[in-house]
Amino acid sequence: MYKIMMFEGGVYKFYELKELVGDLGGFILQESVMQTETMMHLAFPEEDEREIRNKIKELGGKYKELPLAGTEIIIVVPSLGKHHAVDPMCDIAEFLRRSGAITNMMGLARGVGRRIAQMTTQEKQMIEEFDAAVFIFGTFEECIEEKVKLCKSIDIPYIIVGGPSDMKLEHYVGGVGRKTARMRSKDEIDLLYNVASELERALAEKRLDIEEDPIAASPLFIKDMIEKTIPPKMGEELPNIIQLDGLRVKIEEEDIEKIKEIEIGNKKLSEICEIKKSVYTGYLLEIKSEAVTGALF
Amino acid sequence: MEVKVEGVSDFANESYARICQDTFRDAGLRSNIDHVYMHCNPKEFIFIIVAKIGRVSRPVTVWDITLQEGKKLRITTERYAPKLLALLWDKYGEKVEQVGRLELLLKLEDNEIKELLDLVLYDPKDDLVTRILYALDTIIPEGARVRSPMHSTNSVTIIASENPIGEGQKNKAEEIVSKYV
Repeated sequence: MYKIMMFEGGVYKFYELKELVGDLGGFILQESVMQTETMMHLAFPEEDEREIRNKIKELGGKYKELPLAGTEIIIVVPSLGKHHAVDPMCDIAEFLRRSGAITNMMGLARGVGRRIAQMTTQEKQMIEEFDAAVFIFGTFEECIEEKVKLCKSIDIPYIIVGGPSDMKLEHYVGGVGRKTARMRSKDEIDLLYNVASELERALAEKRLDIEEDPIAASPLFIKDMIEKTIPPKMGEELPNIIQLDGLRVKIEEEDIEKIKEIEIGNKKLSEICEIKKSVYTGYLLEIKSEAVTGALF
Repeated sequence: MEVKVEGVSDFANESYARICQDTFRDAGLRSNIDHVYMHCNPKEFIFIIVAKIGRVSRPVTVWDITLQEGKKLRITTERYAPKLLALLWDKYGEKVEQVGRLELLLKLEDNEIKELLDLVLYDPKDDLVTRILYALDTIIPEGARVRSPMHSTNSVTIIASENPIGEGQKNKAEEIVSKYV
């Protein structure tokens, strides 16, 4: 299993860290160098954490755990109108990104109101492409109770964020409600921590499932192999996104055949993954379990 | 500006009072509204909001936003510049020339210049109700799309719901208006 963490520090000898990660069989997921400051998301084998920590200490950098790293999350609000955007949806999204998640936002076409609130089949399919969903439903208890019914048919882990603090719902975080300003006070930041930890709890079940029935290859490894075959275009941000049990690959239609032929161990990618076009964007690669594909190496 | 929200839990009341304060502040209406009363009933999905209009600032004249230097006029508040130029060109045509970004040259007689300085450029009363309605629309939950406005000389009231609004609700709104306005 890989562990994903963030390194923050200066540029002094940071290439040594990159080399060490490569030598240990790890990957650099994101890298940004701003003048003399460097930020990197590193993925490396769990057992080599001590070695990485020592190197970071030697370089005088900071090391941060990313509890949601390797997940793609969707944040769903009743609409993208002025009533629900930009606060609190952007505050929550930003906080989840700080915890390592890749976030997307979605406003339902007809999600507003109480009796008239709906979720279309296409929206449901779109939400289910992600690892987990965060539903942000206003201030009123009566409306949340009604809207929760829409989420019941969703097949992925999800949490609900709302106003009342004492609602008896599974994976619910209260005290947020409708906002007209950024969540920047201490109490509000604590609420954002609650949202991130509740999401972590919701995802724990899915992580356990994957641990019990491991997937054929790590999404990190497949991502690396894809990027070796089809290098990302200049300036393209996050062309390939890792999920817990798969990847979202943003490539042209003509490249899909090239991807299917990529060799992962003794099998082709098309043999270990289910490849389908995403309703949202790009292609989804769902990695089959090792029990189905057999050993790759 | 005083805000009172009733009908729901303490958290929701406080939350909507905050929303009212922030929305009216963003719309630049805090000094124009005396008080706001909002009644929320999420069970029947009915929201009644009343805004009592207070003091309205006096009209802005050309003199307020410019400095006269002989035959030249210097604009001191740039946000009014487009409105001012449109007004002067409409009224005086080529006799008013824009010589710099914020500088106008007036080819007018002294008495005409005096008259020009008293021209009303913008009267906040003109679009006050429109701005209040915009603010109320931002406050009322988005799902409450069926609206019934009630306008009097000193207040703006909106009844909003996702269901048809009946006479009972209109009467209740009238009661609220008579109590709070």
